[in-house]
Amino acid sequence: MNVDFVLQLLLNGLILGLIYALVAMGLSLIFGVLEIVNFAHGEFYMLAAMGCYFLTAGAGFGYWGAVVAVTAVSVCVGFVLYEVLLRRLGGRDFERSILLTLGLSMVLQNGALYLWTATPRMTTTQYTYESVVLGPVQAPLVRILAVVLAVISFVSLYLVLHHTRVGKAMRGVAQNRDAALMVGIDPRVVSRLAVAVGVGLSGVAGAALAPVYSVHPLMGFAFLFKAFAIVIIGGLGNVAGAAIAAVALGILESLASGFFSLVVVDGLAFVLMILVLLVRPHGLFGGGVRV
Amino acid sequence: MRKLGAILAGVVLAASSVGHALAQDGEPIPVLVSLPITGPVAAFGEHSRWGFELAFAQANEAGGIDGRPIAADFEDNRCNPAEGVKSVTQALSQKDYVVVLDGLCSSATLAIMPVIERAEIPMITANASATAIAEQSGVGGNKWMFKVNPADSGLTEAIVAWLDKEGKADKIALLAEDTDFGRAGSDGFSQALKKRGLELAAVEYYQQGTADFTGVLTKLKALDPNSIALYSIAADFQNLIRQYFSMGMKTPLTGRLILSDVPEEILKRGALDGTTTVQPYTIEVDTPENEAFVAAFEAMHGVKPNLLSFESYETGRLLVDAMERASAIEPAALRDAIESASYPSILGTAIEFDDNHLAHNNAVIMRVTDGKVEILGFSGT
Repeated sequence: MNVDFVLQLLLNGLILGLIYALVAMGLSLIFGVLEIVNFAHGEFYMLAAMGCYFLTAGAGFGYWGAVVAVTAVSVCVGFVLYEVLLRRLGGRDFERSILLTLGLSMVLQNGALYLWTATPRMTTTQYTYESVVLGPVQAPLVRILAVVLAVISFVSLYLVLHHTRVGKAMRGVAQNRDAALMVGIDPRVVSRLAVAVGVGLSGVAGAALAPVYSVHPLMGFAFLFKAFAIVIIGGLGNVAGAAIAAVALGILESLASGFFSLVVVDGLAFVLMILVLLVRPHGLFGGGVRV
Repeated sequence: MRKLGAILAGVVLAASSVGHALAQDGEPIPVLVSLPITGPVAAFGEHSRWGFELAFAQANEAGGIDGRPIAADFEDNRCNPAEGVKSVTQALSQKDYVVVLDGLCSSATLAIMPVIERAEIPMITANASATAIAEQSGVGGNKWMFKVNPADSGLTEAIVAWLDKEGKADKIALLAEDTDFGRAGSDGFSQALKKRGLELAAVEYYQQGTADFTGVLTKLKALDPNSIALYSIAADFQNLIRQYFSMGMKTPLTGRLILSDVPEEILKRGALDGTTTVQPYTIEVDTPENEAFVAAFEAMHGVKPNLLSFESYETGRLLVDAMERASAIEPAALRDAIESASYPSILGTAIEFDDNHLAHNNAVIMRVTDGKVEILGFSGT
C-alpha cells in the first residue's frame, strides 16, 4: 500500500470532517437548548455563502471582512428568527417546530432561487488558487482556512459553554428548563442567544465554505442531511459529540472513497447512524446530558 | 314574427361564430416544457428555458403561427423521474397541450416517454442525451418521441475516434454522475473502446449534488490514467474542476466537459491543457447564424448561451417550423410534420430524424491549448 496515498486520504478526511463539524455545530446547539430540529439550517448556511459571494464579488469586501460581516448578520438573523418564529414553540411542540423550520427552509430556498437563479457561482479570494504542500501531501489553502475557522468556532463555543455564566445557563436550560427557571435563569433569553449563536455558526460555515464549494441556492441540502446524521451519531444536542462524530465520519468517508466505490461512501453516514441508533439510541456521546 | 325571430337567431349565431373564429385566430398554442426548475441541475433547466423563450419570442414577434402566439408553460421535473411523470401527467390533464418539450435529464425524459405515448402527444427532447431514448423511439416503439441532440453513443464514438487517431485512447478512467446521463456516457465509452480492443481503466459514479470529490480524485491521481473522462454537470462539475485544480492534478480530461463553466483563471493557468472534449455545441462556433443567436440570447437574458440554451433554441425553432408546415395545430399532424423536418441548424447542417426519431447533428471536438479553447473540428454522430 502506498503510504503517501493513505496520508493524502487522511488529510482530506480530517479537513472534510472539520468542515462537517462546522456545519453541524450550530444545528446541534439549537437542538440541545431548544429541542428544535432546525431544517432551515442548510438554508442559513446557503444564505451566508451567498452573502459572502456578493460581498467579495460585488461590494469590494476582502475575504476576512466578508466573513465578519456575514457572521454578524447571521447572529442578528438568529435573534429575529427566535423572536418572530421560535419563541412561541414550547417543549411539546416538536412536530410544529419541524413543520415550521421545514416551511421556512422551502421559503428561503425558493426565494433565493427567485432572486439569484440556480446558476452556481464561485467565490474567488486571494487564496482561491493557492495550495499548501507538506511533503507528499497537499491541501488547498481555502480548505485550510475553513479548518482554522472551524477549530476557532469549536474552541470558542466550548469555552463559552463550559467556562462562562452564559454558557452554564445554556447548559442548565438544555438539561432542565423548569429547574433553570427556578434558579433565576430566563429560558427565553438563553434560548434566543442559543439560536443567535447557532445561526451565527451557520453563517461562519457559509462564509468559510463559500470559496471551497460552488455557491448556489440548493447548496444547503448537500450538507444538511449529513449534518443530521452527524448530530444523531454524536448524541442529539451534544456539541462536542457532534464535532467528534464529524471528524470521524470525514476520515472514514475519505478512506472509503480511496478503497471502495463512491456509492459506498454516500451511504456510510446513514449506515453508521442506523448502527449507532441500534446500539446506543442516545448517540455515542448522548448520555442524557445535552450541550 | 316567428320568421323575424328565426332571422334574428340566425344573425346572432352567425355573429357569435364569427366572433369565435376571430378569438380562435389569436388563441395561444399551448406547449408544455418539462425541465428541472429546482433540484441539483436547476441551472441547466434555466438555460434550457431561456433557449425556448427566445425561440418562441422570435416566432411570436414574427406573427406567431397563423396569428396564434405560442404559449409555453414550464413544469418542474426536478431532474427526477417520478416528479417528471407526476408533473407532466397533471399538466396534460389540465390543458390540451399540442406538444411536450425537453425533459432535459435523461432519467426524467425516459420516465415521461410512456406518458406522452399514452396521451398521443409528440415530445421533442432537446437536451436529454441517453442513447436509450432513441433506442425506444420511432421504430424502437414510441412513435411520439423525438430527439434533437445527438445520443451519447454518437458523441462518445466521435471523441474516442478522435483520441484513438491521436494515440490517446488507452488507459482512460471515467468519473460520472450516477444518472442515465452518466451511465450512458460510461456505456458509450466502454463500447467505443471495446471496438478498438481497449477498455476503461476505472469507472466511478457519484450521486448528483455531491460537493466533495477529494477522495475519488486522490484515488484517480494514484491510478495515474492517461486521461479522465468526466460526465458531470452544473455545480457538481464546478466543484470537481476546482478540486481537480487545487489538488495539483495534471491528467488531461476528456468526455463531455462544458468548458464555458470552467473558471477562467483555471483555464488561463494551463491546468486543463491537453483536455479534449466533445459537445453538440460551443459558443465559439464561427458562423453568422451562431453570432446572431448569441447576440439575441444575450440581449434577451443578459448572459451568454451554453449548449443547453442552444439545443433548446434549435428545438424551439424546429417546432415552429413544424407548426408552420403542419396541416393542423393538433398532436397527430404536428408529429407528422416533426417527422418530416429538414431544419437548417445553426451548425450548418440540416436536422433530420432517422427511423429512431434521432437527429444526427454534428458534434464539436474541442481542445484546451495554452489556456484557450480551440475547435479541433466537427464530427458526425
